[in-house]
Amino acid sequence: MWRAFKNYLQLVGAYARINLNAQLEYRGAFISEAVAMFINDGFWVAFWVMFFSRFPVVEGWSRNDVLMLWAVTAAGFGIAYAVMGNALHLAGVIVNGQLDLWLLHPREVLSHLLLGRTVATAWGDAAFGYLVYLIFVRPDLAHIVLFILMTLSTALVFVGFGVMSASLTFYIGNGTMLAEQWRFAMISFATYPEALFTGVVKTLLFTMIPAGFVSYVPVHALRELSLWYAAAAVLGAVVITAAGVAVFYIGLRRYESGNLISMNG
Amino acid sequence: MNANAITKYTWISYTAIRSNLAYLGEVLSRTTFMAVILYTFMRLWTVVYSGTGTQRLGGLTLQQMIWYVMLTESMVLSSVRVSSEIDEDVRTGRIAVQLLRPLSFSMSRLAQVLGERTVRFIVNIFIGSVVATLLVGPISISFTSIAMLLLVLPLAFVLDFLGYFGIGLCAFWLESTTGFVLIYSRLTMLLGGMLLPMEVFPQGLQTIARWLPFAGIIYGPARVFVSPDEAMLMHIMATQAIGLVCFGATVWMVQRMAITRIQSNGG
Repeated sequence: MWRAFKNYLQLVGAYARINLNAQLEYRGAFISEAVAMFINDGFWVAFWVMFFSRFPVVEGWSRNDVLMLWAVTAAGFGIAYAVMGNALHLAGVIVNGQLDLWLLHPREVLSHLLLGRTVATAWGDAAFGYLVYLIFVRPDLAHIVLFILMTLSTALVFVGFGVMSASLTFYIGNGTMLAEQWRFAMISFATYPEALFTGVVKTLLFTMIPAGFVSYVPVHALRELSLWYAAAAVLGAVVITAAGVAVFYIGLRRYESGNLISMNG
Repeated sequence: MNANAITKYTWISYTAIRSNLAYLGEVLSRTTFMAVILYTFMRLWTVVYSGTGTQRLGGLTLQQMIWYVMLTESMVLSSVRVSSEIDEDVRTGRIAVQLLRPLSFSMSRLAQVLGERTVRFIVNIFIGSVVATLLVGPISISFTSIAMLLLVLPLAFVLDFLGYFGIGLCAFWLESTTGFVLIYSRLTMLLGGMLLPMEVFPQGLQTIARWLPFAGIIYGPARVFVSPDEAMLMHIMATQAIGLVCFGATVWMVQRMAITRIQSNGG
């Protein structure tokens, strides 16, 4: 078990190195996109700072709580797609018949496929999340450790949910738009205070659109330094990922090759 | 521009409209995101209005505020990212072929964008109005508010086009324009008052933002629609005129410089 995990980590490291080197071939483009995403996230923080300067408390949520929400979401999103960039493009890969390339690998398909690409802007998101947390929240060591754990958990939610929504393409035809809208909805809800949502909508945010496990539960864990909330966040992430993997592999049986010749460079 | 030229560009717009109508399902599916945003902002503003105990914030009631966000979202989500198309034209060399046509490159792009955007905007505002009515109820819409919106909307679309077109042309010098597009779109969003009307901005920022072109792109049309006001209309039109001169002159200069960099190798 440990050996398999270690092997997998080595695979992640190898892919990350190759993907980053490939991106650095176009150094200017990579740096400008990552910096632009960092600034983009900064505009959102500016919006919330401006909002809270006018309305200091919203249903018990203060400026720092929302910044923590943004830090966890941005860092989790960044880690997810910097390491497993294909999770963002999976629906397109299936629709265009580009899975063939990955099916030729001697090991299981999904991990290679997900690790096969990095998204330049995601690096900016990851850097932004960590810097905002360190600068604005000024955490102690225990909070830093928990923050790292929570961002990894959030990254897992993004990947698992991305795989699940994109895999619907196996069943319904071109699901690119559906996967995109579903992901947008999750990100949108995840970046607004949990206290705004009640009743049925709140239930949806922990099931159909699992924004709760992206940011709400991790923020509870960080605010209260609670291992229970941290465990709930990790458990939620594992369940979502397991569901995503199951939907992908069951759907893969329905995949038909388009005989497309493609190379991964 | 003579009548013949106007006919050519009108046909380009018409073709873009028909092309978008062929994919109406896709245009409609994009409104899901707007519904999510409207619901979120309805909740946010409901909490803020009840927390502050006031009937009006920045001169707007809760209903007007949600309709304002609906208008701004309809405009932003209907925006056509012409910059990525220009970027691709430059990188693939397709721009050289476009320049051979008996058409102005920028005018033909503008006509196409206006056509596409018209369909998207109408769909957005239709769906958005239904969602806003379901969430907070209707607001009183007078003939004046519709007339004022129709007066400032075309210039807002042209200004927005010039911004993205200018960034797209930067592909002649840059490896990628994606980053600039991202920053520009967020600047438009924040300083253009997409999520917050300018009356809610801190005083210092408000004074500056009111005179920036972004105010004429998003805030202006939405504000005169939900709360029509002649003085506001005049201010918005002045902002748009200044923006048009600044953006237009910049794009004209960038295009002139860019075209001198085209190298054609044929066979």
